[in-house]
Amino acid sequence: MSNKKLLLKTTNSFLIYAVIILLVAAPVFYYTCQWLYIYETDEVLLFHKGAFVKESHSNYTANDIAAWNKYNHNVTIVPDMGVNKDSIVGEMIFEAMANEKEPFRILYAPVEINGKKYTYIEKRNLVEMEGMVISVAFMFLFIIIILLIGIIWISKKSAAQIWKPFYNTLGQIEEFEIDKNSPPEFIATDIDEFDRLNKSLERLIEKNTVIYKSQREFVENAAHELQTPLALFQTKIDTLQQLDLTREQSALVGSLNKDVSRLNRLNKNLLLLSKIDNESYLDRDTIVLSEYIDKHLGFFIEQAQAKNVKINTHFKNILRTKGNTALTEVLLNNLFLNAIRHNIKNGVIDIIIENNSLKFVNTGQQTPLGAQSIFNRFSKINPSSQGNGLGLAIIKKICEINHWDIRYSFTDNLHTFEVIF
Amino acid sequence: MKILIIEDEREIAQSIKDYFKTNGIQCETAENYNLARTKIDSYDYDCILLDLMLPDGDGFDILKELKAKNKTEGVIIISAKENLETRLEGFNLGADDYLTKPFHLAELLVRMQALIRRKNFKGSNSVVFNEITVEIFSKTVTVNDIKLDLTKKELDLLLFLIGNENKVLSKSAIAEHLSGDMADMLDNHDFIYAHIKNLKKKLTQAGSGDYIKTVYGLGYKWENEQ
Repeated sequence: MSNKKLLLKTTNSFLIYAVIILLVAAPVFYYTCQWLYIYETDEVLLFHKGAFVKESHSNYTANDIAAWNKYNHNVTIVPDMGVNKDSIVGEMIFEAMANEKEPFRILYAPVEINGKKYTYIEKRNLVEMEGMVISVAFMFLFIIIILLIGIIWISKKSAAQIWKPFYNTLGQIEEFEIDKNSPPEFIATDIDEFDRLNKSLERLIEKNTVIYKSQREFVENAAHELQTPLALFQTKIDTLQQLDLTREQSALVGSLNKDVSRLNRLNKNLLLLSKIDNESYLDRDTIVLSEYIDKHLGFFIEQAQAKNVKINTHFKNILRTKGNTALTEVLLNNLFLNAIRHNIKNGVIDIIIENNSLKFVNTGQQTPLGAQSIFNRFSKINPSSQGNGLGLAIIKKICEINHWDIRYSFTDNLHTFEVIF
Repeated sequence: MKILIIEDEREIAQSIKDYFKTNGIQCETAENYNLARTKIDSYDYDCILLDLMLPDGDGFDILKELKAKNKTEGVIIISAKENLETRLEGFNLGADDYLTKPFHLAELLVRMQALIRRKNFKGSNSVVFNEITVEIFSKTVTVNDIKLDLTKKELDLLLFLIGNENKVLSKSAIAEHLSGDMADMLDNHDFIYAHIKNLKKKLTQAGSGDYIKTVYGLGYKWENEQ
């Protein structure tokens, strides 16, 4: 079902009502007019007959009647046709002037002239009526249409005015994102319902912002608080490994060392994510991506050596971007390490800069990654890997706050992460 | 050499103390702001390790006080706070180095040694170990006066090992030292193996003793052969 606009919906029902009324009213009006005209015509016919009787034509001779009939086009006196009382009928009669049949009302009435019974016949053409009824109907229609257009236009205008605060509120809520902008400021309105709506929205947003903030702070505080016990843990292991240990104990302390640095890394990443959330990285600079990549390529080549992974760069143009330097570096480092971590022995990483896109194309597992969930926090690509499931979440977050686009695709057994700047 | 550790976590202070003791460094500790102030007023130290969050005061105030009293002690901030503003404020107030918790004791030790070398620098700044001499400024290494061609990483590694003489160094401590800012992201520390191997080869080929020992399961140790 397609959604209709509120204003359209109210005027739509107006229009439908108007059309129904018009459809019903037009024939009713037409027939009422016609009936009224015929009624009036009949009255006139009866009145003429009454006048004829009253004007004492009762002493007319047969010659007088013939002369009457000769000069009167509409009224004829004929010998008695057996009519006992006044009767009026509608009939179509051929009219020589118009050369077609036209509607007439005809009165047949019994009259007595010189003691003899006659029938008085009078006919009246209804053509005038047809013209009049039609022009009245047209005028009526015209007025109704003008009236309707006016009503619709005025109601539309005033509805737009009335609903203005509502649309303002709606627009602001659509724009609002709890982790980004400041709470919306609704314009004051004198309509009680909208005022209530605005107030309850304000309350809702305020409450949720507080909850959201405290949750964010909780993550940051927790990560911070963890640093002291982690420091204790680390320094104690450092002290422990100086003791005279057996091979077995050494191996154990060695693996403890790995665990603590993994824990440390996880904590640092959580801290980084919550800092990005808390807008700690706001200043922006221009960064030339290829320069940074070239500068640190040696470091990453070194990291890739353990798997004998080859790194190639193809910079087709100079790509400058505006963003926070520290975060952009984190983004690039994460893309690099991600491509190395999930690579295979003797694999390849291609780094391609073309137009405004940066691509990391790497060999890896033979099946595509679940494109939906890979950017979620703690969604691990490979459960046995040392990664903590935050690398891609960080990449996504950094792209998000800079309004860059991150895409993943899998073609020809190659995994591609592409950032569009 | 005498240093002051201003740190409210006693166990951390104690670990540092124990670790440094065998390198001939005498450590005093102060676990709160007031005690730290008294000690700074009464004694001179070669170096101060400073935690910023103290129960009864702010570590930055200690920096201000040192500055006001024209004290020349080198200061390394050791803090759980990790943001650019805190770091910059620390440096502005006269701190010489900044180490974020958690850290490796080995890292702290070499940072402190480097700081003290810079402070006591009189014409030359070099590290000497038997036949090996490292000139810090010119970044040259000689073995029995024969110049050795080392990469930047190898030189860095050599200084880290010599600075932690007789200490067992875990792979992660070495890896984190060598990768600097990137350390937090690395999940694989195997790359140090190649550096250790190359350094070892270059040193022994130049006629130096084989001081780098592998400690099973843990890492490496720089040990005088005698």
